[in-house]
Amino acid sequence: MEKFVQLVVDGLSTGSVYAALALAIVLVHSATGLINFAQGGLAVLAAYVAWVLTNQGLPVGLAIVAAILVSFVLGAVVERYLIRRFERGDPDTAVVVTIGLLTLVTGVAGWIWGYNNQQFPSLFPLDTVSLLGVSVSIRSLGTTAVIVVAMVLLQVLFVRTKIGLALRAVAINPQSAAFSGLPVGRLLMVGWGLAAALGAVAGTLVAPQLTLTPGMLDNALVYALAAVILGGLTSPVGVVVAAWIIGVLENLAAVYVGFIGFDLKVAVPFILIFVVLLVRPQGLFGRKTVVRV
Amino acid sequence: MARVLDTPTPSTPPPPARSLRQTPWVRWGAPLLLVAALAVLPLVGTESFNDTLARIGVFAVAVLGLNVVMGYTGQVSLGQIFFLGLGAYVTAYGVQQGWNVVLVFVLACLLPAVAGLLVALAAARLGGLAIAMVTIALPIVGVPLAKRLSEFTGGSQGLSARFTDAPEGSGLYDDQFQLYLVLGIGGVVFLLTACLVRGKYGRAFAIVKDNENVASSMGISPYRYKVLAFTIASLIGGVSGFLYMVVVQYTSPETMSFGHSIELLVAMVIGGAGSIAGSLLGGVFYVVVPDLTNAVDPSLTSLLQGALLLLVLFLLPGGLVSLPRALARRLRRSPAGRGSAAPPTPPSSTPGSATAAERPQTERQGHA
Repeated sequence: MEKFVQLVVDGLSTGSVYAALALAIVLVHSATGLINFAQGGLAVLAAYVAWVLTNQGLPVGLAIVAAILVSFVLGAVVERYLIRRFERGDPDTAVVVTIGLLTLVTGVAGWIWGYNNQQFPSLFPLDTVSLLGVSVSIRSLGTTAVIVVAMVLLQVLFVRTKIGLALRAVAINPQSAAFSGLPVGRLLMVGWGLAAALGAVAGTLVAPQLTLTPGMLDNALVYALAAVILGGLTSPVGVVVAAWIIGVLENLAAVYVGFIGFDLKVAVPFILIFVVLLVRPQGLFGRKTVVRV
Repeated sequence: MARVLDTPTPSTPPPPARSLRQTPWVRWGAPLLLVAALAVLPLVGTESFNDTLARIGVFAVAVLGLNVVMGYTGQVSLGQIFFLGLGAYVTAYGVQQGWNVVLVFVLACLLPAVAGLLVALAAARLGGLAIAMVTIALPIVGVPLAKRLSEFTGGSQGLSARFTDAPEGSGLYDDQFQLYLVLGIGGVVFLLTACLVRGKYGRAFAIVKDNENVASSMGISPYRYKVLAFTIASLIGGVSGFLYMVVVQYTSPETMSFGHSIELLVAMVIGGAGSIAGSLLGGVFYVVVPDLTNAVDPSLTSLLQGALLLLVLFLLPGGLVSLPRALARRLRRSPAGRGSAAPPTPPSSTPGSATAAERPQTERQGHA
């Protein structure tokens, strides 16, 4: 039982990391209608920035905040100078652009910092606390808490602030938004920036666990995409819930299902997807879209 | 489309070229000459040249498969390398068990095709981009799976199989024989695929790529054709896996790593999406560029590939294969621009070249 609770808590923590990445993907998709395969790559870059800063003697927390700010700017710049040109065109081309960006970002990280694993200092102590009689790791609890707070902040931004309203307007209908005087281009930059910042939170929090390499988040990206499919692209809440389900299920399957084990647990979300696709093609929480020809 | 519109416009130089291309001698002679050249090539090249050429052939076939599903049918697939790996493993296992080579070849085609069919049946239910999101999992699940099934795959050690030594009495060296095999099988695959994408199915693929609603209103089921395209792509991937074993004679889980899958896609887009010749160029790119960058600095490979891909998408959305046409267009346009100042240059070029100059622009806006 104790092991079970530990597995669930650890699963929630990795699930939160996937959730943050998945939410960033949904954010970009709702703003610009494309899937950003470079979301994980940008987050890795943020983790490297934080790592460099901690090596300069900055405390971990401060370094992470700095990396988040850098990511925001980077995301906005990428949108303006790379994605903007492909936004209105063929979505497949735009996807290839983001794959090129992923290759480029991975290449830049590998070129500057090499492909060897680097130790990233943890924001949280590596102890365990006793929770309802069961000891669980502080790092897992902390990671989950930070990401939940980040998501709540984002939600408040979107629902309660003027800029959030503008962002939503642009996502729903860019043309009408432009007619009512909103600076659509700049808002799209903000959307990409926010997505990159959220990714940076995920990247820096998971880096101590995975150790820093240029391809660190390739697997996490796959999980995040699985969560996006399962939750449905139109439902942020669904995506987060799906990410948590995936995180917990893969942890449990790794331990309790003999054949899967730790090496094959990456297959779990895809088995889940195949099952869900056969039953609910629009995702667990997504709405079916009807297109008028 | 652009080519059809371009043909009436050129003023002086093309007519002889066109008539040359239309003479029966050239139409039948040129392919024969090409075949003859390919038949002689292995005999004159050095061993390393032959080896490079054979590897280019292998990956050109893999890129061709990717092109069927992505370039022609418009479904982004990030999993093509998985089918290459599967084909390679089937080949290696079959050879180690001492099965007949023809049977091994058939299995190396069929098993990836069946795997592709199963994946596509589920993935194609989702809208366009979701196929990319599902297929990205294939290499990422494939690597640990290959390590796990070690009684078939040899685990992390991988499998090696030597079955392509030149037959006794043929007088060929091994590398020459292997190159012949690649040229023969690869050539047939290219030929068949060229026929496929030019025929009835190719037109159906193009409609599905262009507009799924139009396709279904014409009685072409997008779902069915997506599944078909993906299955064919997997089958061709299996063939390339067989050829991979012919040339490399060794496979490990690393063969189908995520990075290689991305590289394959990069090679396809840079070579030219939706083009047979572009697949060949893609194969050249896949093999030659890492060889070159490794000679300079191995850590630069990924950086260079990403930068090149973005550069090509910005400047030459049709890939390298569209370079001659783009250059020709630019050359034609620049005298026309100056021609407005100096009055009568070629008389026919005024109305025609204007549309020819504008046409590609609007087209590029629509696509890129």
